Amino acid sequence: MESHPFDKPRFLRLFAIAVYLFLFAPIFVVILFSFNSIKSLNTFDGFSLQWYEEFFNDPALRDSLLMSLEIAFLTMLAATVIGTALAIGLVRSRARWAPGANILMLVPLVVPEIVAGISALLIFSQVGIALSFWTIVVAHITFSISYVTIVVRARMASISQEVEDAAMDLGATRWQAVRLVLVPALWPAVLAAGLLVFAFSFDDFVLSFFTTGEDMQPLPVRIWSAIRFGLSPTINAIGTLMMVVSLTAIALAVLLPRLFGRRESGFKVLTAQEG
Amino acid sequence: MAEAIGIQNVTKRFGEHVAVNDVSLEIAEGEFFSLLGPSGCGKTTTLRMLAGFEVPTEGHILLEGQPVENVPPYKRDVNMVFQSYALFDHLDVSENVAFGLKRRKVDKAEVGRRVAEALELVNLSERAGARTNELSGGQRQRVALARALVNRPKVLLLDEPLGALDLKLRRQMQVELKQIQREVGITFVYVTHDQEEALSMSDRIAVMHEGRVMQCGAPEDVYERPSEEFVAGFIGISNLITGTVEDGGKVRIANGLRIDAPLPDGVTRGDTVNLSVRPEKIAVDDDVEAGMVSLDGTVEARVYLGVSTQITVSLGNGDRVVALEQATYRSSADDRWEPGSSVKLGWHPEHCLVLR
Repeated sequence: MESHPFDKPRFLRLFAIAVYLFLFAPIFVVILFSFNSIKSLNTFDGFSLQWYEEFFNDPALRDSLLMSLEIAFLTMLAATVIGTALAIGLVRSRARWAPGANILMLVPLVVPEIVAGISALLIFSQVGIALSFWTIVVAHITFSISYVTIVVRARMASISQEVEDAAMDLGATRWQAVRLVLVPALWPAVLAAGLLVFAFSFDDFVLSFFTTGEDMQPLPVRIWSAIRFGLSPTINAIGTLMMVVSLTAIALAVLLPRLFGRRESGFKVLTAQEG
Repeated sequence: MAEAIGIQNVTKRFGEHVAVNDVSLEIAEGEFFSLLGPSGCGKTTTLRMLAGFEVPTEGHILLEGQPVENVPPYKRDVNMVFQSYALFDHLDVSENVAFGLKRRKVDKAEVGRRVAEALELVNLSERAGARTNELSGGQRQRVALARALVNRPKVLLLDEPLGALDLKLRRQMQVELKQIQREVGITFVYVTHDQEEALSMSDRIAVMHEGRVMQCGAPEDVYERPSEEFVAGFIGISNLITGTVEDGGKVRIANGLRIDAPLPDGVTRGDTVNLSVRPEKIAVDDDVEAGMVSLDGTVEARVYLGVSTQITVSLGNGDRVVALEQATYRSSADDRWEPGSSVKLGWHPEHCLVLR
């Protein structure tokens, strides 16, 4: 059979493979070399766990990892509570300023992170707050609120006002209506948004860099300081570990809503698909 | 019968917009009462004020004689069936129905018993454990009904509850709703824009238009004796012929004919009025009897409707009349009225209403 050049676009398939290689080859190299048995960043000699051992035996690095996890956890808690409340308010508000406030939510997402970092630094120093663990948390919460609000807002918009009215009609106070009806309906979106924000906070460098005090550094900042004095294969081990943490958070965001038997994946919630 | 609901001079404004304008109604205990009107007439706002979701700008709302306009919805002894059903999708069918009883701290055994009872009432016992998103539209509607009725409210409010169902299911649910209402004996306040629905189910109907009640009465009253042009036009098809009042109880219409009509009080010579005759009250050709008002016209269009045939007759000078001729054992093929042919029309004077 004669084949038309566009019947089986082989070049497109090659192109797709090339794109994927381009995307994943660096990550693959990092993972591979994290298991290297020699201290080389260009020859792979054999399998070993020595760089992981080195990482866990370095108390400073270990503390940085714990610090990053704590920051991400606190950010997740605070941002989901504030962001969800904001999403409920923005969708239900009949006020004239509500549409404007809705658009304003997008601003933190498009402001260059370096600008956000510098402004956070300026505000903290002007008000006279010493940079510490807590300044990082506050900075992370501010940008995370937008993500949560946007994800939860999409879900909220699909819930009829009548559902809350029905709860109140059946004897629930306004607060009970939110707790017993609205929150369970929003829960998959809140969970997905929270885990997403956890992943973002955990590997954030720019904001953390500007708001980190002198006493201790979160992991990404710590890595940055370390490589100024030369690259060590430990970096690969740290990179791999960070990737595992982030991917776990994202995977939970996708899978957990399913486990609750809602028959909808977190993927759909995150990408705001209906159904 | 005792009064279940009193609406006293209630006005509701949203900013500049007047949604409900000085409405007063009394609804008796056990009555099936409908608020009928086109969208935007204020019927849903009125219902939401009864439920407590909106507070009247002016006036009072009484439940069993007690003013409740400032009582929040969760403290009112009324329940509502919502247009969208508003089911709680994270709960199963029986949990949905139990929601209200649990809020009121009814004890567990009693909750179980009453939920089962309510589901049986709406014929849904076998779906008690189903998730709400596994149900069909009609079943969701029944859950919403059971969820409201299980609380044994003084009044059940229904906001176009059958609007989302297809025609066949809607007819079936109309019959069932009426049956359920008789069985439980609760006062129903039913909002609809479907005149047929209102006519077939209600004890009384209030026809609303632009925030006002235009007429309130039994279905027969509202249909047979509409007091306003709007009511005549909104409920069923109505023929409106403009004319001028002359001496001797006659009305002169555009083609010069003088028609006998029962003039209401206060109408005097020279007034412009509208004559309203229902299409099914108009006799055609051989059916015209002695004692009828009779006029001649030309057939403009004929629509075959199965059990009846609808013909549009021009009276000349721009007036048109629609007549509905029932197919009976006497009529042969209903192709008697070809467009363009002359036809004789007639009606009994008492079937003609004079509207100002």
